[in-house]
Amino acid sequence: MEAGSLSFGAVKPACPQRYPVQRAQLAQENAPSTRLPMGFFLFALVALAAGAVWLVAEPQAFAEYHYRPHTVAMAHLFILGFILSVVMGATYQMVPVALQTKLFSERLAQWQWGLHAIGAIGMVVSFYIWNLKQVGHFGSLEFVAMLLFVYNIVRTLRHAHQPDVVAKFIALAMLWLFVTMSVGLLIAANKFWPILPESPLALMHAHAHLGVIGIFVMLLAGVSLRLVPMFALSEVQSPVRATVALVLLNVGLVDLIGAIVFQQRVAKFGAALTVSFGLLVYGFEMVKIVKARKRKAIDWGLRYFFTALWLLAPTAICGLILAWPETPLTPLTVQLENLYAFLGIFGVVTLGIVGMLHKIIPFLVWFQSYSPLIGRCKLPAVSEMSSPRVAAWSYFIFLGALPAVAVGTLFQNKDVARIASALIASAVFLFLVNMTLVLRHWVQPRTEALSVGTKGAAA
Amino acid sequence: MTFTFDEKVESALRLVIDPELNLNIVDLGLVYGVEVDGAKVKVTMTMTTPGCPMHEAIAEGVRNVLAQLDGVSEVDVAVVWEPPWNPDMLTADGRAQLGFS
Repeated sequence: MEAGSLSFGAVKPACPQRYPVQRAQLAQENAPSTRLPMGFFLFALVALAAGAVWLVAEPQAFAEYHYRPHTVAMAHLFILGFILSVVMGATYQMVPVALQTKLFSERLAQWQWGLHAIGAIGMVVSFYIWNLKQVGHFGSLEFVAMLLFVYNIVRTLRHAHQPDVVAKFIALAMLWLFVTMSVGLLIAANKFWPILPESPLALMHAHAHLGVIGIFVMLLAGVSLRLVPMFALSEVQSPVRATVALVLLNVGLVDLIGAIVFQQRVAKFGAALTVSFGLLVYGFEMVKIVKARKRKAIDWGLRYFFTALWLLAPTAICGLILAWPETPLTPLTVQLENLYAFLGIFGVVTLGIVGMLHKIIPFLVWFQSYSPLIGRCKLPAVSEMSSPRVAAWSYFIFLGALPAVAVGTLFQNKDVARIASALIASAVFLFLVNMTLVLRHWVQPRTEALSVGTKGAAA
Repeated sequence: MTFTFDEKVESALRLVIDPELNLNIVDLGLVYGVEVDGAKVKVTMTMTTPGCPMHEAIAEGVRNVLAQLDGVSEVDVAVVWEPPWNPDMLTADGRAQLGFS
């Protein structure tokens, strides 16, 4: 077939030559308005940038004991400002799509965004100046935001057509979010009204594990069981295996929290083993899914995500060492706690989220800017909106930072910690450059007229 | 050189791209059938997965390209889930472009 010789009518709508075009005329099936998740993601990116700058300014966060105001404030900036914001935005976007139902209330989600933003910023500032009364006030605001979020998602899940294992992961993550925030608020209240007999440090460790394992790992695992097959053209290989992982993770977490709070060392190790085994089963299922994939190339988004999954292994090993009943309490093991927290929060959760953001943000921007123009213009592919080279640099710099973090943390070496912080900030900067490249398509979409009649020209 | 109407329709459908996979819907194997009845064209197609967020956009893209063909006054796009799409439905070109072995 010769190119350029087909006759298309001239009177029908063609590719617009001027912008702005009328956007988002189409709704994504079941998904809320693009602006809702993007609001959460933009807030998260600002928090990530602020956290990276802060890390460079205070690299001793790695190298010193973690229970100090600035480290606690920084941890909450990353966890509430970046991670939780992404989690909320992505959940609003993906739960309706993945479970083929509508979000219960978009208006409620918009109000929730405002409360979350004020609550998170207020908490970080209050921790920074160590005003625990204000931590309680802003924490209460964040708690209300979380309640609205959980309510909205639970009401959405109730209408899911197929409440499969993914829905169960998400539902349990919502439960753990409620428990985590309740425990956090209880810890703050305990400062003024001592009602809890147990060690506040133990409660804080329980709070951290609830957050990282209960919310973030649970959501990453659940969502990845839907998204990785979708992106890699594969499918879940064994729903039973996925369910076993779900059960092990949750039973292990319940045991772990009890053992941490009541300081039962043997039980803590048993619980840590159960969680680790759950992660192993989940990891095995992911390996099977990836091996069965039809799409050979693995893009940078998926590569980030899979690397995050591999980092579950050293994180779990650190956790098992710390949970071992005979592990002595020494300065080295205290620093190992820092490394364990770093690997969990930055290595697994943040890297996994960054990987998913490489997929989600370009998709949302593409949809917002280009979906009404499908079939009318030559449009960029989602993968063409960002730079693979920048993503690669960011990835390798981050990986290079990990040994530096380990050395700087374990040996309390501030110089090495400073290098590690600079590397992490550089990796974050490059990631933000890539996201800016993507967001430019939101501001100024780029289209070309269709080259009609060329068989396969569109591919 | 002249083309049959079916060829025009197929060529037009190749202009509709799945933006995530960067592959047109014909080579992806999403188009199950095309029926032409005078000036009316009905396309029966699927998506790579139920709940695909691009569902509406791709279906609208099909309407857009076919509506631009001379002699077409009405386009009906039916999205079906049976049989479910699987990668074996890719054309040889599609497999090559996605890097299948």
